[in-house]
Amino acid sequence: MAKSISRRDFIKGMAGFGAASAVTALAGMPAAHAESETELVERVTTELPIPEVEAPAKTEYECDVLVIGGGFAGLNAAAAAADQGQRVVMLDKGRPGYSGLSPWPSSHRWADKEMGDDYDALRKCIQHGSEYLGNMDLYEVWLEESKGTYERLRDWGILDQYETAAQSGFYNDSGDPADCSGDYQGYHEKFIQHDRRTKFAAVLKEKGIEYADYTMVTNVIVENNKVCGAVGFHVPSGAIITCHAKAVVMAMGGGCYKPTGFPTGGVTFDGEYIAYNLGLPIAGKEFDDFHMTLSWAPGNAFLNNNWTYLDPLWLCGGDITPETAISYATTKGKVMVLDRVTKSMTGLAVSDGTGVEDMTKQDVTRRGGSTSENPAEVRFGKCNDTMYKGDIYGAAVGFGAHLTNGVFCGLDDLEGRTSIDGLWVSGDGMMACGPTGAAYPTGVGFTSNFVSTMGNRAGKAAAEYAATAELTKISDERIAEETEKILAPLSVEKGFDPNWARDQLMNIMSPYWVYIAKSEATLQAALTQVEYLRDKVVPKLQAASFHDVRLCLEMQHKVLNAELSLRASLARQETRGLHFRTDFPYRDDENFLCFITLQKNADGGMDIEKVPVKDEWKGDLSEDYKSRYTYYFPRELETLGLPAEEETGGWGGKK
Amino acid sequence: MSVARYDLNKCIGCKSCVTVCPMDVFRFDEAAKKSVIAYPENCQSCGQCFVNCLGRSLTIVNDMYGYAQTSYRAATTVAMNRTAQKVIDR
Ligand SMILES: Cc1cc2nc3c(=O)[nH]c(=O)nc-3n(C[C@H](O)[C@H](O)[C@H](O)COP(=O)(O)OP(=O)(O)OC[C@H]3O[C@@H](n4cnc5c(N)ncnc54)[C@H](O)[C@@H]3O)c2cc1C
Repeated sequence: MAKSISRRDFIKGMAGFGAASAVTALAGMPAAHAESETELVERVTTELPIPEVEAPAKTEYECDVLVIGGGFAGLNAAAAAADQGQRVVMLDKGRPGYSGLSPWPSSHRWADKEMGDDYDALRKCIQHGSEYLGNMDLYEVWLEESKGTYERLRDWGILDQYETAAQSGFYNDSGDPADCSGDYQGYHEKFIQHDRRTKFAAVLKEKGIEYADYTMVTNVIVENNKVCGAVGFHVPSGAIITCHAKAVVMAMGGGCYKPTGFPTGGVTFDGEYIAYNLGLPIAGKEFDDFHMTLSWAPGNAFLNNNWTYLDPLWLCGGDITPETAISYATTKGKVMVLDRVTKSMTGLAVSDGTGVEDMTKQDVTRRGGSTSENPAEVRFGKCNDTMYKGDIYGAAVGFGAHLTNGVFCGLDDLEGRTSIDGLWVSGDGMMACGPTGAAYPTGVGFTSNFVSTMGNRAGKAAAEYAATAELTKISDERIAEETEKILAPLSVEKGFDPNWARDQLMNIMSPYWVYIAKSEATLQAALTQVEYLRDKVVPKLQAASFHDVRLCLEMQHKVLNAELSLRASLARQETRGLHFRTDFPYRDDENFLCFITLQKNADGGMDIEKVPVKDEWKGDLSEDYKSRYTYYFPRELETLGLPAEEETGGWGGKK
Repeated sequence: MSVARYDLNKCIGCKSCVTVCPMDVFRFDEAAKKSVIAYPENCQSCGQCFVNCLGRSLTIVNDMYGYAQTSYRAATTVAMNRTAQKVIDR
C-alpha cells in the first residue's frame, strides 16, 4: 500500500506549485504519492466569476468620536474614548487588527522601573540614537505610560504567551535553511484562541464601539476650522459612507508604493494626503525607512514574516543599562542603518543564503531579545525559530521612519492635537515628531507600544473635547462633492491603469540613489518624473470597478507622498540617521537640528520650513563630533578631516 | 508570490479570507457560498488568508516571484540561488 502522506509533506509538496501547474506537476510524482494523487487530480483550481456586492445595511453614522483606522493606535484611541462614555465609531479600510502594520510586529517593549530599568540610561540611549531629533518630552510620556499600555494590551489578550512554533512541533526544524517550513495552518489552528488579530474586534465589541470594515475614508470634513466628520466608501460595493462626528482621530498609518516583502499594503498615505490638503504641516518625510526582502524570493512577504506572524509577540526590554546606553544605540545604527545603506550601494546581499540560524539569532538579539529560552525572564525574546530573513534592500519603498513622519503638531504637543478643532492624529505615519527622531532603530520593539500609548492619549483628549462640543453635521453639498471625487475615476474614458502607474512610481523611487544614497541631482531627477506623474497621469487614472477606484485614489496619495519625500530630502542638506546625502555626507548640527515641514499654501503650492528642535533635545553640543555621533556614513569622516574608523560590519557579518 | 486556489471544493464558505485580506483581493459568492479570488494582482503575499483558511482551500504560490524590484539579485551568490531553487521546488 502506498505510504500515506504526512501533513507536513503535504504542505511542503504544495507550497511551490502554481495553481495552474499543480495538477500536471503532481501527475508526474512517484507512486508513493498515489493516494493523494487521485485526490489532487480532482481539485478545482478555477475561480467563480467576480460577484456584485450589496451595499451595507448602514451607510450613515453619527457619533461623538470617530476613529479612522483600527491598528494599535486606532484601537487604543477608540477604547479610551469609549471608556470616557462617548459614542465611538471606527471606520477601517480593511479589518481592525488585520490591516496596516498592526498584524505584523514581533516584539513589544515597555519601560519598567520595578524590573530594574534605569530611566536615565534609556533617555541617553534614545537621545543619542535618534541623532538629537527625538522628541524627549514624548519619551517622558512613554517612560511614564508604557507599562500601563503593556498591561492594557496584555489584558486584552494581545500579548498572550503560548508555545512558539519551534516548541510546538509544527515547525520543521531540519537545520536546512531551504527547509525550515512546517505546518503553518496547523500551528495557527491549535493556538487560534491566542491570535492577537482577533482581539481587536473583540475589544471594540466589548466596549460597544460600532465599526465598519472595508470602508475607505477619502476625506475628513472641516467647516470653519471645526471638524464635522468624514466621508468615504465601502470598497466592495461602492456605497458612499458618511460619519458625522464631533471629534475625529485619524490613525490611518503610513504607506509604501508597493508592498514587496514588507506586508504594509493596507496603508497608502491616505491620512497624510487628507491632512496635507486640509492645510496641516507634514514633517519627517526625508527619513526613509528602507526594509529588506529575500534575495531568493524577493517580494515574498509570507516567507519573510510567517513564523513571527504566528508566534507570540516577544516581550523585550531590560537590555539598556548605563554601561550599554551608547553602545546599544551605536549598534542599532550600524546594523539597521549603515549596514543596509552600504549593502544597498554595493548590491550585495547580507548573507549567501546559508547560516539562516545565525541570522535569526542576531535578529532576536538586535530587537533586545535574548536567545536564552529562559521562560522566567519575562521580557526576553522567545522566538528562536530558524526562519528566512530579508537580506536585501527593496521592500516597502516609500515607507517613512515609523514615528517621525506625519502631521507635525508642534514641539509642545503631547497628544496629537492638530490646529483644526476636534481633529487629532495618532500612530505610525500619522503623527510626526516622535521620540525616535532621525533613526527609529533605537526604538525597535517600541513602536507598537508607543503608538498604543499615543492612541490612548488622543482618544481621551478627543473624548474630553467631544463631551462639550456641538455636532456640526456634514452638509449634503459636501457629501455630493466628495461622492463626485470618489467616483471620478469610473468616468475616465481613456486613461491609465492604477497598477501601471504604481509600477512607474516604484521604478522612479526605488533605485538606491534616490531612496538610500541621495544627492541633489538624483532627487531632482526623480522629482521631475514624479511631477509628471502628478500632472499627466494622476488626473487620468481609470477605474473599471470599485476595487480600481480604491487603487486610483491610493495612487494619488502615493504620488503626493513621493513629492513630499523628495522635497524634504532636497531641503535637508546633510546626513542624519535614515537620511543619507552623498553630496552632504555628514551631520550638520549648526543648520539641521530641526524638523522640515511641508505645508500647502493658499495658492496650492508647497511651503517648506525649518523648525528648530528644543534646545534640551539637542544633547551636549560642546561634545566632539566622534562622541556625539558614533557610526559613520561613507566618506563622512574623510570629508570632515577626521581619522577613519575600522570596518565595523553589522547584521550578517563584515561588509 | 501570490494567493492561489488549492481546491475550491475545500472552500467551506467561512469567509475568513474575505474578512482578513487587507488588499481587497477577495469577494464572496453568496449563492455558491464560496470565496472568489477576484484581484490576485494586488495580493501582497502576506499569507493571512492562507493561515486563516478553515477549509484549507487556499495556497501561496511563487507565480509572482518577480513582484519585487530585484535589482540586487544580480549580485547574489551561487549558494543563495541554490536556496531559492529549493524553496521553489518544495
Ligand atoms: C513586518 C513588520 C514588523 C514589525 N515589527 C515590529 C516589532 O517587532 N515591534 C514593534 O513594536 N513594532 C513593529 N512593527 C511596527 C508596528 O507594527 C507599527 O508601528 C504599528 O502597528 C502601527 O500601528 P498604527 O495603528 O499606527 O498603524 P497601522 O497598523 O498601519 O493601522 C492603520 C489602520 O488604518 C487603516 N486605514 C488606512 N487608510 C485608511 C482609510 N483611508 N480609511 C479607513 N481606514 C484606513 C488601515 O486599514 C489600518 O487598519 C512592525 C511592522 C511590520 C510591518
